[in-house]
Amino acid sequence: MKKNINMPKLSEEMVTGILAAWNKERGDWIEKGDVLFEIETEKVASQVESSVSGVLEEVFFENGDQIMVDQVVAVIDCHER
Amino acid sequence: MIVMKDRDKMKKKPDWLKVNYDIESVMEINELMNKLGLKTVCNEAGCPNLGECYKNQTATFMILGNICTRNCRFCKVETGHVEPIDPAEPSHLAEAVKTLGLKHVVITSVTRDDLPDGGAGHFARTIRTVKLLNPEVTIEVLIPDFQGNHASLDLVVEAEPDVINHNIETVRKFYSEVRPEADYDRSIALLSYVKQKAPSILTKTGMMVGLGETEADVLEVMDDCRKSGCDIFTIGQYLRPSEKHIEVKDYVSLETFSRFKKLGEEMGFSYIASEPLVRSSYQAEKALRER
Repeated sequence: MKKNINMPKLSEEMVTGILAAWNKERGDWIEKGDVLFEIETEKVASQVESSVSGVLEEVFFENGDQIMVDQVVAVIDCHER
Repeated sequence: MIVMKDRDKMKKKPDWLKVNYDIESVMEINELMNKLGLKTVCNEAGCPNLGECYKNQTATFMILGNICTRNCRFCKVETGHVEPIDPAEPSHLAEAVKTLGLKHVVITSVTRDDLPDGGAGHFARTIRTVKLLNPEVTIEVLIPDFQGNHASLDLVVEAEPDVINHNIETVRKFYSEVRPEADYDRSIALLSYVKQKAPSILTKTGMMVGLGETEADVLEVMDDCRKSGCDIFTIGQYLRPSEKHIEVKDYVSLETFSRFKKLGEEMGFSYIASEPLVRSSYQAEKALRER
């Protein structure tokens, strides 16, 4: 099963988020709870955790990109290891 | 649509200003709040700890609407035309406490200078309703200054929450710039009044650093609060919610936070939390249990 990882809405008025850094690469195995990437906000850097386990199959953005809320950032192919 | 942003606009942050964010937990709590028509200060104020707290199934409820009658320059909560009080809010909040299985609940509000009692009666009704449905839960209220009105404070005190928190927020000399409609001495007097009126209720206050204050300024605040009989003190790094808000002057070092904690303990606070991401409601249950 494929799971889309979307840009989360970190606050009520958030429209876009800046992808500050990837913590994983395409092809990496992801455990549920692993930090996938960081989003930079005015206050802090938020480390976004994966809600599923699987292989990071697609990565659509690079560090520094500004991404709309709900836009698909990555795809994880969910399965047992 | 992808737009590159000038990241240089954001002041360089130290490495320790990183927080974890669990998308599913945040969505789950947001859905519950929306269903019950409730607000959290976590969302409204853009708290950096939201991801951690929501993952731990805890939140700080914000009553009396989400529009404030004051315009503090550090705060993200909107100011402007306020809405009528929701009479169902106390029961909805009590229901949320039960659903989340909270053992300790923190309830705060916007400042409502438009109401004759400043919203104190609504605070009292909320405390009593939460207790009725959740008799085992401990209750902490983080209250506005009610313009120093003792009758309003009495309403809250008589509802017998376990903790009454009122944040001093910043050092005396920055009040006119940072909290133009508040008064440093009035806030200290509030803490003293509550402790004299109800010694068994724990009093708590908190402040932010990083606005350009000196260590001596901070120690003066801690000393004033301790002399008011205040039991619990929290210190955290000020983080600017947006470019419209007052600037961060400096990121206070971890060593300095540790020093404030040690000095606060020596002053006699029964609990002091002093770390960059400490907010007055952050791990509030821990402060109550470990003091």
